[in-house]
Amino acid sequence: MQSLQLFEDTVVRKERRIPTEGEVLVKLGDKVEPGTVVARGVVKNPDIRELRIYASLGVSPDMVKNYMLKTTGDDVNKDEVIAIYRSFFGRSTKVARSPIDGRIESFSPVTGRAIVRGHPIQMMVKAHLPGEVVDVIDGEGAVVETKAAVLQGAFGLGGEAIGELVFAVDSADMPLTSEEIKAEHRGKVVVGGSVVTVDALRAAAKNGVSAVIVGGVDQKDLTEFLGYEIGVGVTGGEDFGFTLIITEGFGVNPMDETRFSLLEMHEGRLACVDGTTQIRSRIQRPEVVVPL
Amino acid sequence: MGLEEESYLIVDIDSRTTKAILVERTAGGYRLGGVSETMTTMEAPVLDVAVGVKTALAELEGSAGKKILDGDKPSAAHRFTASSSTGGGLHMVVGGVMSLISGESAQRAALGAGALLMDQFSKDDRRPHFEKIARLRSLKPDIMLMAGGTDGGAVAQVLEMAELVNTADVKPRFGEEYQLPFIYAGNVEIRDEVKKVLGEEHYATRMVENVRPVISKENLGPAREGIYDAYMEHVIVHSPGYDELIRWTEEPLLPTQAAVGKLLYAYAEARAVNLIGVDVGGETTDVYSVFNGIFNRSLNADIGITYGIMNIVKETGLGNVTRWLPPEMDEQDVRNMVGNMMLHEHETLSPEQMIVQAAVAREAVRLGLEKHKDIASRLKGSLIGRSISDMFDQALEKTIINLFKTHVVVGKGRVFRDQSALESAMILVDSLEPMGVTEIMVDRSSIMPHLGNLLGVNHDAALQILVEESLTGLATCVAPMGKTREGEEAVTVQMTVDGSEMVESVKVGNIRFVPLGVDEVAEATFTPHRRLDLGAGRGKQVKKQIQGGEVGLLLDARRRPLNRFRKTPEAPT
Repeated sequence: MQSLQLFEDTVVRKERRIPTEGEVLVKLGDKVEPGTVVARGVVKNPDIRELRIYASLGVSPDMVKNYMLKTTGDDVNKDEVIAIYRSFFGRSTKVARSPIDGRIESFSPVTGRAIVRGHPIQMMVKAHLPGEVVDVIDGEGAVVETKAAVLQGAFGLGGEAIGELVFAVDSADMPLTSEEIKAEHRGKVVVGGSVVTVDALRAAAKNGVSAVIVGGVDQKDLTEFLGYEIGVGVTGGEDFGFTLIITEGFGVNPMDETRFSLLEMHEGRLACVDGTTQIRSRIQRPEVVVPL
Repeated sequence: MGLEEESYLIVDIDSRTTKAILVERTAGGYRLGGVSETMTTMEAPVLDVAVGVKTALAELEGSAGKKILDGDKPSAAHRFTASSSTGGGLHMVVGGVMSLISGESAQRAALGAGALLMDQFSKDDRRPHFEKIARLRSLKPDIMLMAGGTDGGAVAQVLEMAELVNTADVKPRFGEEYQLPFIYAGNVEIRDEVKKVLGEEHYATRMVENVRPVISKENLGPAREGIYDAYMEHVIVHSPGYDELIRWTEEPLLPTQAAVGKLLYAYAEARAVNLIGVDVGGETTDVYSVFNGIFNRSLNADIGITYGIMNIVKETGLGNVTRWLPPEMDEQDVRNMVGNMMLHEHETLSPEQMIVQAAVAREAVRLGLEKHKDIASRLKGSLIGRSISDMFDQALEKTIINLFKTHVVVGKGRVFRDQSALESAMILVDSLEPMGVTEIMVDRSSIMPHLGNLLGVNHDAALQILVEESLTGLATCVAPMGKTREGEEAVTVQMTVDGSEMVESVKVGNIRFVPLGVDEVAEATFTPHRRLDLGAGRGKQVKKQIQGGEVGLLLDARRRPLNRFRKTPEAPT
């Protein structure tokens, strides 16, 4: 079995970039905090709708142009009328409405169809870690460096999260139940022991916990909590309110003592976690970074 | 080079392992002179695949006791060839005019060439035009293959598909600055027009013969060769270190799965048998078949026994896995064990993990076969002549796979190395459910890609090493087709082994093992129940010379299909 990495004191470099060309807001040598915006940009909205306006109006495609209220480049709101056809001296009216908020990307007077695309999506990436900018990637982002304690988990769900590292259990072999998850854990990274129960997962979501780090989770409980079964080990995009990091594996697994002790050593500090996992040729494990 | 000096160095490089073998000429034919294995060095920090190859060759030099390296390259005394599946293998997108006709033929050509199919586009595809463009832009394949139109047939639709590709400006997976290899295997009369539509800027266009020159005929060979050439000239050269490997050899560097497919095809042809080969990997399950000389390959991505193991359970339903497990195994434990087998790759498996692995492997193969039946289908679009006698038969099957006429089954992959001979045989029999008389074999040596490569330079050597060093005979499975009452004698076998005679039988619903050693050959007469058929007709005797194996003779009178758990549809998420 390959070992998961653990460093008590190391230098972490994180590439922070947006998936498009945009504006980099930091420069070399800048000190950044987890919430510092490193880069921002705009990407095209993937939500595109093709409207058969001729069908909505009940006219032949080449006639549609005569009834259009909007044209290419116009912004439209959801349910806004973009074409109207009145017949029988105004006694019968047919309209074509936009199904989404967005802009008319194209209209063909020949086919009588229009394409509406959702408004562009604002993208931004934050530093996620406190540290220093050691490299700038033109138009896309930067590399942030910090000294930190790092440990990898076996499996994670949910993306990046930060919060104060707190312990809800006294030992690595104690289960994390709903009773241990309290209102004061809101926005914190909660460490459990051997297993997290399905009620505890629900309590974590309800109480606004930032992340849960625990030895194991029962696969059936996880399925019940998520509402679907995990198939391939590619995660990170889940959105159930917090990030879950399993350090050992599925089932009841007391957290490895070395990992538990390392986390215990840094209780009260800021923890920057990422549940993104990819169990494939290019393995990516979930990670807990505690800046020193 | 004298015959006594004739030798071959063959290397296969996958994402994790680089394995080298030496094949030498001897007085009695050919022999495996040595095998070595090392880590693949394509990823950082080495970033040079040739480094791993040289390490493997240096190790081979030690184990084989022969001079293999000459300085920094293989010695000219050996002929060098290689195959590769680094970077997850060859990723392809295919296109056609009609999805069930040219699209399906293009799909078969790509899969047969060892590709991982990312998507298929066609004129009758229901996705709107803009969605096809957006999807094509997002895919980034290694190679694109487009078919469409019979020779002298469709023009406008083919050009419309070419226009779609041109608009999408599809980028290659590695190195956006390079041209994407685009293979056109459609209507040969409009090659110039297609080329004109695609232009010269974005695509390295290659014209090959039509995969469907007429509606009733499929011609996949030239398209496959075109894929190999494009792979060699445009894809592999962009990966670090391959340029050095290419300088060492005059042979084309094949995708690993293509080499395996070529080998299985050659073996089936040499023995004039119908064959099914299954390769259960960690992330994928490949199924190969040769039926009446027609080769097909299918691939189930994310269905495998390490990375893909949880997905198997998700796809098939836990009940289909637990039906192969002892009843005392707790469902919760099984779920967690499967999850952990995905998370952690184990050097050795615990006894419980072995049981779960065998159960999951059965389902991986079963799912693989289901998909394969769709790929290995009759040509659609052409009329099928049916006689009066056909009216009394079952409706014509869509697939060309016929488990009643499968003579040989070959299992390949880690599961068949981990599991015992008996369990390996049962994995294949339970999942494929062969009928009639079928030889069950496994490859435990993992040198099939190497031998597939060797095939191109020395056909006889490849087949000899395959039989002697790679394939292990496990069993001959005898399973009758038809239905009769539980408890009745299903099959009786009379066998003569080394002059001594024996009679064995099996009752309906049961399975029996009759020892017959690996080197033993028996003259057997099988007599099925009057309502059951072993290939000669109901109740008719079948006389056959059968080869022994590590398990022996396997009399399987369980009813087909074997009991299956029906997965309840998952709630929408």
